Amino acid sequence: MEFLFEIVLNLIGFSVGVIIGVISYIGFKNTGSPTLFRLTIAFFAIGIGFGVLALGYIIDDAITHTGDINRGITTIGIAIQTIGYWFIAFSHTIKTFFPKSKYLRSVGVLPLFLVSFASVEHVIRAVSFILLVYGSIETMLSYLQGRKKSTLFVAVGLGLLGLGEFVSWYSFVFPESILYAISIVIKIGGLTSLGIPISRIPLQKVKFDPELKDDST
Amino acid sequence: MPSHRTQMKIVGEILSTTMDTDSQDGTNITHLIRMANISHGRISTILGNLVSQGLLEQVDSKRSCKYKISSSGKEFLLAYKTFREFSEDFGLTI
Repeated sequence: MEFLFEIVLNLIGFSVGVIIGVISYIGFKNTGSPTLFRLTIAFFAIGIGFGVLALGYIIDDAITHTGDINRGITTIGIAIQTIGYWFIAFSHTIKTFFPKSKYLRSVGVLPLFLVSFASVEHVIRAVSFILLVYGSIETMLSYLQGRKKSTLFVAVGLGLLGLGEFVSWYSFVFPESILYAISIVIKIGGLTSLGIPISRIPLQKVKFDPELKDDST
Repeated sequence: MPSHRTQMKIVGEILSTTMDTDSQDGTNITHLIRMANISHGRISTILGNLVSQGLLEQVDSKRSCKYKISSSGKEFLLAYKTFREFSEDFGLTI
């Protein structure tokens, strides 16, 4: 039952992440904006990260029957999500500290999180937490400047994702408790909050035009 | 503190200006420079790119070079405005 709960919640995370990623991609294809390109990578990574975790639970439930998700799959899923969080934080870093850097605006620095499994999962969760808190604070500062409600939803969403990471990290201290499930619920709440702004986008009016070129760099 | 304008934002302002003053005659470069608050040298390069990409149309005029937004330009401007909002929701600039 607990497995089913985690599979469903991770699949919701996968769906929300991929939907926001697809919308960002449509925006990137239509405008050629590097910001939207980074958001595309970020949300596809977050969605795929949740998807990998869901897959891990499905594999164990249907094939291996060990009663616990493979540690390697967990690490890969969380690492992919961390890359997504990193790209969100990176976009805020560029906006705040390097507004004129053409290199950073166009290329993006490849995340260097490729390390061996073992107990690296804890490190990745800690990195995710820091990145999410940073992204949440920066977005909250943007909200204070512009007072847009949808920006507040995004700031709260990133904050909830950070809190979810913190709680899931804590679940290692109490492995048999409900903390992990709670962390997933908090994360889904965060992703839902992130998804609220996209409900206002009139995508039917935006035509996909492959002929538009990117001259933004 | 004044914020740095991205190339995308400048393009959006140029297209918005040509859209607002949409007429058969087009918008002259002096008006675009004033509205987009940009130097002549820089706007010439950007306008050249926009014309080559089909977002702006160059209108022949006896006195000066004028520009008119194309249908592709209108589509781009709509997408730009939509996704500018989307980026701002994330606390980012497009």
